[in-house]
Formats: sequence, structure tokens, C-alpha cells
Amino acid sequence: MASSAKRFDDGTFIGYARQHVFVTVFGVAVPLLVFACFIGYPIIYTIYLSFFEWNGMAPQKKFVGFANYAYLFHDKYFYIALVNNAKWLVVSLVFPVSLGFLIAYVMKARLVFAPSLLRTIVFFPVTMSLIAVGLMFLLILNPVFGAFDTLLRSVGLGFLVHEWFGDYRIALYTLAVISGWAFTGMPMIFYFAGLGDVPKETFDAARIEGAGHWRMIRSVALPQLRPVTAIIVMLTLFESLRAFDLIAVLTKGAPFGMTNVLGYLVYMESFWNSRFGYGAALSVVILVIAGSLAAVLLGKVLKGAFDV
Amino acid sequence: MSDTTMNAAGRSRLLAVLPKLAATALMLVLAAVWLGPLLLIVMTSIKSNAEFLAGPFALPKSPTIQPYIDVWFGLGFGTLLRNSLIYATAGSALAVALALVPAFALSRMNVPGRKWIFGLLLTGLMLPQQTVLIPLYDTLRTFHLLDTKIGLIIVHGVYGMPLQVLILRGFMTTIPPEIEKAAYVEGATDFQVFWKVILPLSVPGILVGYTLNFIAIWKEFVFGLVFLNSEDNFPVTVGMLKLNSDRYLAVFNLPAAGLVISQLPIVLLFILTYRQISGGNLSGAVKG
Repeated sequence: MASSAKRFDDGTFIGYARQHVFVTVFGVAVPLLVFACFIGYPIIYTIYLSFFEWNGMAPQKKFVGFANYAYLFHDKYFYIALVNNAKWLVVSLVFPVSLGFLIAYVMKARLVFAPSLLRTIVFFPVTMSLIAVGLMFLLILNPVFGAFDTLLRSVGLGFLVHEWFGDYRIALYTLAVISGWAFTGMPMIFYFAGLGDVPKETFDAARIEGAGHWRMIRSVALPQLRPVTAIIVMLTLFESLRAFDLIAVLTKGAPFGMTNVLGYLVYMESFWNSRFGYGAALSVVILVIAGSLAAVLLGKVLKGAFDV
Repeated sequence: MSDTTMNAAGRSRLLAVLPKLAATALMLVLAAVWLGPLLLIVMTSIKSNAEFLAGPFALPKSPTIQPYIDVWFGLGFGTLLRNSLIYATAGSALAVALALVPAFALSRMNVPGRKWIFGLLLTGLMLPQQTVLIPLYDTLRTFHLLDTKIGLIIVHGVYGMPLQVLILRGFMTTIPPEIEKAAYVEGATDFQVFWKVILPLSVPGILVGYTLNFIAIWKEFVFGLVFLNSEDNFPVTVGMLKLNSDRYLAVFNLPAAGLVISQLPIVLLFILTYRQISGGNLSGAVKG
């Protein structure tokens, strides 16, 4: 630090800004301005709009107070979507996250040959667009020509053949599992990197004590990886609230709105039904859910993980 | 007596091998589950209509590229790929450009309140995009940027910025402070330190961030779907929706070929940069 510059830097923001104009303008002011215009303002505008009735085109928006929210609490489709989001989250936490951990552990413990090949294979779908993934499974899971049902029939499990996207009892789980297939690589590399940071001595000590792999996972790996798990749970959470692409390309919420999730319902209500006010109210609900879950997680588990 | 010891030794050896066997079996199944669908799609994409009817597992006897030609012209993949390339290239460049100085400020400088600034920028990372579609749509319409490439590039750039700040800040934190101390002693200004010292040293981090952003924009769908109307502006993801229609699903070789085309540029990028992008750089950035 140049000592002459330091003299004016009295610890307040103004004092700092006068001394470091370049950093203050381009490092703080510009990004905050961009943030305010494109992220902050839209959030506030969404909240504002949720108190109005508007078809998106009319010059006048009609103020309706809390009517949109009142409607929301009696909307059957809202509850279906909300429950579906919860199911989606549970599937995502159970399938890709735990499997990603298992793969990372098995590779790190050198229990398999060619671990890097497996890592590449599982990571690859992370780079695929969910539209491509969705279309791919549309072909694979086709009940007549699809590879999956053909395989089931040929091994005598023909009774398991389903309309994977048409049966209202399972369509949502089909989508969530497909999304998990595409997402597993993410927790896997996070856990893999996290396991690499655990001191080797910790594992060696546990091994000398006679810990098997089960004990090792429960008593050493998982406790050591708590911060990584917290970050992955956060990622999974926001990923599941964002669920959209697969539904748009595969089911559009059908059959009977049974595969709708909040993220898609917002789009349907705003841009298809032209109920922008109601769409905004739904958006606010999503924001509240995301915000409060993030606050709980950040406050409890992630303490210090983002410290500067 | 010696017999039982032998048995015990054999059993303990079996116990030692067992997890390895189980793990290997599990991994083979997993490899099949992750690789199988991709291979089947590639295989289907080079079959003729007649061969397709032989079933999904029948190997293609006389491979053909006809499905690729048909779907390329049917969907106009030339335009779609060009558009996606423009969005990904320009959008990522904008995101990195917006993030460089903030990352510098938040990692190397003692900006008062930098913890709050960083936290605020990170909320952009967690925001479900659907919740801001309406106001963004409105804003773009006001500035006549709806259904334009520039409009979508700006949105991609802005929404890519928070992740870039996270990655670049993490990377810049690892640069030893002695280097810039020396520059300050020589009388360098903040800008000179940023431009001549930190920026050149951050090139590897910038490349990782740019690549990840590129892939993210290539995958992106919601913004393109809502903010664009004319097919001339569609990115691959939006243009590909047409593949889910009776016209293309009569025989699967066409949609399969379309899928392969849409993913090819990213496959190339993946091969070139796999080591960098899967090396846990993100988790490193978070801890940084």
C-alpha cells in the first residue's frame, strides 16, 4: 500500500472512495447499479405488480389489493404445484446428492478401476441442456419404440412398462429422476473436491482404528464434508425451485396439471393466461420460499462459508 | 487348528475384497445408466427408417447421415447454432467484463462493507429466474430490446455476473499479496495494479469462468423462450422444441440426430476444457 494514500483512508466509505476512485466506480458502483437495474428493481416491481390485475398489454393496471393472494390460497393448481416442488426436492436430495456422494467416496477410496473415466461419464450430462436431456429420455422412455421398455419386456419385467410421461401417478417422478440424472455430476465433483481437502491422516487414523467403509463414511467423511453438503443442499434447493425446462419440453404440466411446479405455473399464468398480476403473486411466493430457506441454511449450516 | 486359521484368513481376505467387488459392480451399472442413453441416441441417429424399426438395441448395419441432413434443414440448425454461439460468446464476455473489477475490489482491496456487497451480488445467483420474467419482459419492451439479440445478450451477461464475481474473486484471493505490494511500493495506482499485475495473473481463472458461463448460456432456455419471438433469433434450446412434435417423432432417427447436433459444440468444448471445469473450481471459489 502506498503510505501517502493511506493517510486519507479514514475507514469510512467516503474516505475510501475519494482515495480509490477506480475501484469504487468500477468495482462497487457499476456492479451495484447493474444489480439494482436488472435484479433489484425486477424483484421490487414483481412485488408491486402482485397487488394489481393486469393482462400485460393494457396501459392501466387495476389495483386489487390482496385479491391475487386471496385467490392463490384457494387455487387448487397452486397447491398441486407446491406439493410437486416438495416432491421434486425430496427426489433431488435423495437421488443425485447421495449418489453423487457415493460415487465420489468410492472413487476417492480407490475401490474402482478407471475412476476418472466414471467421473467423466457422470459429469458429462451436467453440460447438456435440459431440453436435449428431456428429448433424449422422451425417445428412451417411449412405451412402444423406447429402449427402456424394450429392455424391461425382454427381461420379463413387461408388467413394469408404463406411460412414463402420461400416467399422472408417476409422470412427476419421471421428470424429477431425469433431472437427477442430469444433475448427479454436480454433487459428485463438489464431494470429490471436498474429500480431497480432508487430511489423509484423518482417514488413515480411522483405518488403523479398524473402521470399515460404512463407519468411515458415517464418522469421518460426512462430518468432515458438512460445509460441502450445505452448499450442495443450497444448490439443489434453488435448482428444484427453478425446475422448468424439462416440464416445458416434456409435459407442459399435463396430465391435469399433475406435473406442474411453481416455476412453470408462473410462466403459464403470466404468458399464456395473461394474468400478470397473479403470476407476480406466485413469483412472490417463490421468492419468499427461496429467501426463507436460504436464510435458515445460511444462518445455521453455512456460517462462515462465505466469509470474506 | 491350522485349518481354522486358514479359513479365518481367507474370510478376512474375502471381507477386504467384498467392498471392492460391490463397488465395481455398482460402478458398472452406473456407467451403463449414464453412458447407455447417450450411446443409444447416437446409434439411433445414424439408422435409416427401416433399420429403426428393427428395435432400439439393433446395431446399425448400414450407417447413414441422412437423418442429420434432414433435421439440419428441417429445423434450420445453421441459424440456431449461430445464434447460440453469439449469445454464449457475447453474453459470457459481458459477464466476465462486468465481474473483473468487482472481483478485484472484493478480493484485493479493503473496500468498507465488502462483505455486504459480495453477499448482495450472490443473491443474484440464487434467484429463481421465473420470478423476474415479467419485469424484465417489461423493461426490455420499454427499451425496444424485446425479440432482439442485444437484449438477450444483456440479460445473459447481467445474470452471469454474480457467478463470475464468485469464481474470479476466489481465484484472485489465491494470488500472493507480495506481488502487488511490490507494485505499490514502486508507486503504482490501483488501476495499474489491477491492469498490469492482477489481470494477467488471473487469466486461468478468467478462462474457467468464461467456459462455465458459455456452457450455462448454451443450456439456457427460459430467457430465450420468453424474450424472443422470431425464429431468426432463437437459440438452439428454443428451436429444438419443435422436435417434440408428431412430424419429427414418427421415426426417432431425426430427433436423435438433432440432439447430437445441438450438443456437439459443447462436446468439443468439454473435451478441450474438461480438466479445468470439473476440477472443483467452484467449491474452491466458495471457500476462497
